Amino acid sequence: MAHPLPPGLTQAEVAFVAEMELVTIIPRQRLESIDLLSGKTPVLRPPHRAELPLWLALLLKKQRRANIVPPPWLHPASLTEIILRETKENPEAFSPPPPPPSRAHPREPGRARRLAESDADISPPFQPSCTAAAPAGYLPYHWLEVAEALLAHAGDDMPVPAGEVRSLLRDLVEVRAAKMRSSTSQLEGFGGGLMSLRGVGAMELAESRGFVLGVVDGVRKIGASAEATRREEEEAGGGRHDDDESDDDMGI
Amino acid sequence: MSYYDVDSILTDAEKIPCTFQFDIPDLGYLENNPGQTLKTGARVGLPLWLAEMLAIANTGGIGPDDQGKSFVAFDLPPALGNDVMQALKADPRAIPIRDQSAHFYSLATHMMDLSDEPELGTVLRKTFVTRAGEIALHARKAGGGGSSKGGASEEGSNLGVGGAGEEFLRGLDEWERKLFRKAHDGARAGKEWMEGVKKF
Amino acid sequence: MPMYGDLGNKLVQHAKRTQILPHLPPYQTELVRTVTREVRDLHRDVDSLLEPFQGSFDPAADPASACTLLVNHLSMRRNKRCLLAYHRTRTEKLEVLVWNGSDVLDLSAQQAGGANGVPGANDGGTSSLSPQEEDYVRQYGDLLAAYKGQWTDVDLTGSLEPARDLFIDVRVLKDAGEIQTEYGAINLTKNSQFYVRQGDVERLIAQGYLQKLG
Repeated sequence: MAHPLPPGLTQAEVAFVAEMELVTIIPRQRLESIDLLSGKTPVLRPPHRAELPLWLALLLKKQRRANIVPPPWLHPASLTEIILRETKENPEAFSPPPPPPSRAHPREPGRARRLAESDADISPPFQPSCTAAAPAGYLPYHWLEVAEALLAHAGDDMPVPAGEVRSLLRDLVEVRAAKMRSSTSQLEGFGGGLMSLRGVGAMELAESRGFVLGVVDGVRKIGASAEATRREEEEAGGGRHDDDESDDDMGI
Repeated sequence: MSYYDVDSILTDAEKIPCTFQFDIPDLGYLENNPGQTLKTGARVGLPLWLAEMLAIANTGGIGPDDQGKSFVAFDLPPALGNDVMQALKADPRAIPIRDQSAHFYSLATHMMDLSDEPELGTVLRKTFVTRAGEIALHARKAGGGGSSKGGASEEGSNLGVGGAGEEFLRGLDEWERKLFRKAHDGARAGKEWMEGVKKF
Repeated sequence: MPMYGDLGNKLVQHAKRTQILPHLPPYQTELVRTVTREVRDLHRDVDSLLEPFQGSFDPAADPASACTLLVNHLSMRRNKRCLLAYHRTRTEKLEVLVWNGSDVLDLSAQQAGGANGVPGANDGGTSSLSPQEEDYVRQYGDLLAAYKGQWTDVDLTGSLEPARDLFIDVRVLKDAGEIQTEYGAINLTKNSQFYVRQGDVERLIAQGYLQKLG
């Protein structure tokens, strides 16, 4: 039997994965380290901040044993800045993802270097994208999931009334959804059709994956015969043998 | 496109105008004259599955006029005719393409495989992409707004949308219906997740 | 004027509908038989067309006959494709139903019986499945059960939704008798409510005995 789910993660799965994101909490009670499958949790000593996976932070929050520090990018000023960038400064693109963590180069002051050499070390949840150490002004990969969870369960920990953050978040969701819809029109030009999804979050991808892939596939099929003709002509004409070859090798 | 693909099979049933280039005694029934000879020059609408092979089969004719001639010559079906293309160029969203063919794009890509139609490809790409944006908009309204509880997966031909978009959505061909369903499912799952967040 | 392949097309339209419907519509016994007969007729026509040539037919010398033969051949091939696609669409649907844990044979009998006002009548003749399909479902179900049986800790046909909670509240919609859980036996009588481990009752929820609350 064919697998019943569409390709890629579903929204429910994305939300589940997002609960692995680290957030910063301020414990209200002492708690010894817990030995979890994913590793040991830090010892909690009020009022020292600690980083925990979102699911555990939400559990402690519900039991009133901790407060959650909203990540800097979720502050109204940060959201306003991002909305401005998405609507006025660069209405074509999604705002870029957070830069990889870096620190000053030890021997060459003024130059930063990437903290980790391999990407495996800096991918979520090991990237501080949703902790207090995350940069403001950038939406991390799981921005929508984390934001919704924090607003629903830790609204009183927000620096401003949760409703204010929520309405900014709604605006942002709408702006980006419209962008996602219209991005497909970039596929119109023959050969040059390209849509950049850089900066799009996990939940947004899950929601639009089926549609976007459907559009891309349709455009491909409509152009298939013209593409075949073009290749034949190119081959007949003694063909340039440069980068087109690699496309064939990749079976595209 | 797999052998078992139902939509592909239904596309192959679409009729296209063909002209016979031989006298065929036994095929009169194709133009409602069983027992009669089908004459050279007879115009008959044949399903794609038949027309395609008759048009490309090598007749192996040995007469001086027959060499390299196929059994039939075909034209583009009216669904892909000039009138429709002009209308689509003017406003892709204004045409209920389902009225032309339920398998409009599938039929068109098939025809483009059979003969070079660069103009057709350009118009269709623009049409498809423009209408896709509109489809996504309607799907988001239908999937994200209002109550979608219960029976949401049992849409079928009823796409579950009322109001102004209804006419546009009725005019979607099969490719577009699939797109709508995907966009709609995405929006609905997103909404369900959003409602579920509060429970946790 | 009906043409060769028209009935096959009808069959594929049924298949198209089947893909969208939540249940499996009745097997088109008569239509399948007619399409099969059409193939046989076409084959006979081909045989009689070729007979005078004694195995030495030259298409180039007789393009008209060649064309007729080609049309007949294509019509047969078309019908074959329609028949295969129809049956395959139904088979795939059946497999989905088996994976979902619905009692396909019982359901189909109920459906057909319900139309005659005899709910649950199970006299074989009223099933929406062909006898071959019934056989297929039975054996496929056995195969799946044997396959699943290799793992005791994982339910291969369990829910694909990531669990929110290990324990859930359920209400009993239909009497489901007593079930054994890690925490002892529970007697599921209609309208009662329980707080149970989700993994213990997933199957019963899918089958409509229990309703998940909250």
